[in-house]
Amino acid sequence: MTKFNRRIVLQGGIALAGAAMVGGLARRAQAATALTLYNGQHRATTEALVAAFTKSTGIQVTMRNAESPELAAQIAEEGARSPADVFFSEQSPPIASLQEKGLLGQIDPATLKLIPAKYNSKDGTWIGASVRTRVVTYNKKMISPADLPKSIMDFGTAALDGKFGYVKQDGFQEQVMAIVHIKGRDAALAWLKGLKQYGRSYNGNRIASTAVENGEIAMALSNDYYWYSLAKEKGPETLNSALYSFPGDDAGNIFNVSAAGMLKSSQNQAVAQRFLAFMLTAEGQEAMIQTTAEYPVLAGLTSPYNLPPLSGFTAPVSPADMGSASDAYALEREAGLI
Amino acid sequence: MTAWLRRRQGLPPAWLILASVIPFALVALPILYVAVQGYQAGIAGILSNLIRPYTLNLLLNTLTIAVSVTILSGLIAVAAAWGTERCDLPGRRWWRLSVALPLAIPAYVSSFAWSSLGPWFQEIQGAILILTFYSVPLVYLPVVAALRSLDPNFEDVARSLGHGRWRTFRRVVLPQIAPALGGSALLVAAHMLAEFGALSFLRVETFTTAIFDQYTAEFNNQAAALLSGVLMLICLPVAFAEAKMRNRRRVARIARGSARAIVPIALGRLTPLVVLGFVTLTILSFGVPAVTLCFWVVQGHSAGQGLERVLPALMNSVGYALPGAALTTLAAIPLVIATTHFRGRFALLCDRLPYVVHGLPGIVVALAAVAVAIGFLPAVYQTTGLVLLVYVVLFLPLAQSSVRASAELVPRELSDVARSLGKSPFQAFLLATLPNLLPGIGAALALTALQLMRELTATLLLAPAGVVTLATEFWNYTSDRAYGAAAPFAAMLVLISGVPVYIFTMRTLRLNDAR
Repeated sequence: MTKFNRRIVLQGGIALAGAAMVGGLARRAQAATALTLYNGQHRATTEALVAAFTKSTGIQVTMRNAESPELAAQIAEEGARSPADVFFSEQSPPIASLQEKGLLGQIDPATLKLIPAKYNSKDGTWIGASVRTRVVTYNKKMISPADLPKSIMDFGTAALDGKFGYVKQDGFQEQVMAIVHIKGRDAALAWLKGLKQYGRSYNGNRIASTAVENGEIAMALSNDYYWYSLAKEKGPETLNSALYSFPGDDAGNIFNVSAAGMLKSSQNQAVAQRFLAFMLTAEGQEAMIQTTAEYPVLAGLTSPYNLPPLSGFTAPVSPADMGSASDAYALEREAGLI
Repeated sequence: MTAWLRRRQGLPPAWLILASVIPFALVALPILYVAVQGYQAGIAGILSNLIRPYTLNLLLNTLTIAVSVTILSGLIAVAAAWGTERCDLPGRRWWRLSVALPLAIPAYVSSFAWSSLGPWFQEIQGAILILTFYSVPLVYLPVVAALRSLDPNFEDVARSLGHGRWRTFRRVVLPQIAPALGGSALLVAAHMLAEFGALSFLRVETFTTAIFDQYTAEFNNQAAALLSGVLMLICLPVAFAEAKMRNRRRVARIARGSARAIVPIALGRLTPLVVLGFVTLTILSFGVPAVTLCFWVVQGHSAGQGLERVLPALMNSVGYALPGAALTTLAAIPLVIATTHFRGRFALLCDRLPYVVHGLPGIVVALAAVAVAIGFLPAVYQTTGLVLLVYVVLFLPLAQSSVRASAELVPRELSDVARSLGKSPFQAFLLATLPNLLPGIGAALALTALQLMRELTATLLLAPAGVVTLATEFWNYTSDRAYGAAAPFAAMLVLISGVPVYIFTMRTLRLNDAR
């Protein structure tokens, strides 16, 4: 009797698992929405943007959230059959990699003209949506502001041996490319070799800025928003670390952007164009800068995060110059950094 | 063909071959993907990239971590299992739970907790420490299950022949728990090769972090696939060596029989020392991460954000993990039966391949699923069903090793008896073999469900849009550094993971009491 029951239970279980499987496969695309957005930017930021867009246009947006490079890899794998209409990337290199693979469509010229050209790709396939700056995060107890290096090129010299950390992702490639553009390839190679010799590599910007905050290392090369998000979590007055940018037109004073573009394969290009245009309206920009410590790309708006003025960041390179920044990878390899 | 299917005792029945081919085909897909992509990358150019000091260093780090963690966690787990099962340790019931408890904590949570204690923990020795504590329960639980199902008469015979305690352990106990120990150690080794989440908080670079670099810095899917191929080559000998070691022995017995109750070894004056050992283990593996989680809740300014998502995320986590675990276990059973009861080269290949794929980073398997689904079955792309299939590919070995621990103890003759009574091969399996596998199946379900609840990459890329699970929410808030907001999701993940851990542990306890 017990055997019989057991058999019923087992067979029932097998049938259920099978049914769940088939049901799952069949539950496809019932919710056909107007726009599919692959999102790598901070989710809260994009959610605020999407809510404003839906409120203003009545168009529903379906979001898929993951890390930007993973989404770029996924779109590259999907190719022409990608369900995505728009890709919003946390940094510009992932979307530039899709540009180089020819997967992005042309953005409406009227949209491109809404913001300064330095924020957009040169071929008009992606737009900058928000700006942050490359900075030095330093521990106030370990180094005084007067002793901070005067140039990005000072990093990677014996003078700073053991005093700084660096992260080979999220903005680092752009930094390498900027040095290549401004100082030349040899200088960039020497800089990278110095970094390897005298600096400490961290696996992520967040980890590096935490290490600075905890006094494990005096300085780290980073993007500014990691410090602002730490300040938001712990309260800025309690922090041991602060931000620093180099004086003048230094190759270290570069900005990078979050960027968005439309997939060439999108079946929904009119709506995609509308969404991209909305991102650059005051309404769209406001939704984004309220939720993350980043500068707007549209003139005349101010971030509530008490960011210093962007005027010091005059390095003669733009995110578009850096492309997917995969050249930096070859240099890093030559320097033995990777 | 017959040579491929040849084995010691007759051909496996048709249903078993069919049932093994399905998981085999699923697992073969990512391998094919890696092969095709690697070929497109042009092997010559990539090889010159691979053979340089940096990658050799990665290889060294990867192997150091995999080997050290496997050995250390194996030693700790066997010692702990011996302590809770065979010694008169006070409060054994509670120590069993406390050794199993860290299983409820995802590696990235404990890694974050430890790394915040100082730079020492961010180096390779820290990685080994963190991952060892994380892996101990994965070995401990199967070993306990195996220890409990042993017939102490074997040990009595050995003792009566003049073997000492240690020699008896080595010559009688160890061979009998070897399937469980070997299977779970292999699992840990394969898992360590692919570990990424825990290492991302540390300063250790391995092959897997380099594969992620290929995606994040060079946007080169092909080169990443080729690096993954190298990772699989490392997994290959590990997977087959374990099988080879195990295949020489046959440890099945007909019934639990009338085994006498085990008389625990008196610890005597050693008791405080052993208790201290268990306390230390619990503090290090469970206490530190748990305290950190509580600290986030109190400290974080972002605490309270996204609380309305906790319940839907919980429902989705459970809703994906349970059918995923059921499917994975279902796929594991024929593979295990084919190797334990029939052997043969093809069966061995079917059985080993999942372990090789388990060494692949989740992103590679997920992208393989993207390529296959988009290319051949666009209708299933980004559906729940596809995610469940990818879960099977990712976590099959977890279910296999748990089921195998039971299957090794079930004699094949049982189903022969059923056959001689006129049952079909499948009926014989259902009536005679399957009921004896139930302890292993329960363990497989629990372990797989646990791991599935924290799966991130495949869920993010392949689940229907807008699906949030506890793991995706935790990732979302920590990547924005909102640890206070992330903490409730992590805590819920730990709490809900505690359920299968608890059920599994208590279940083995009850089994023992009945005997």
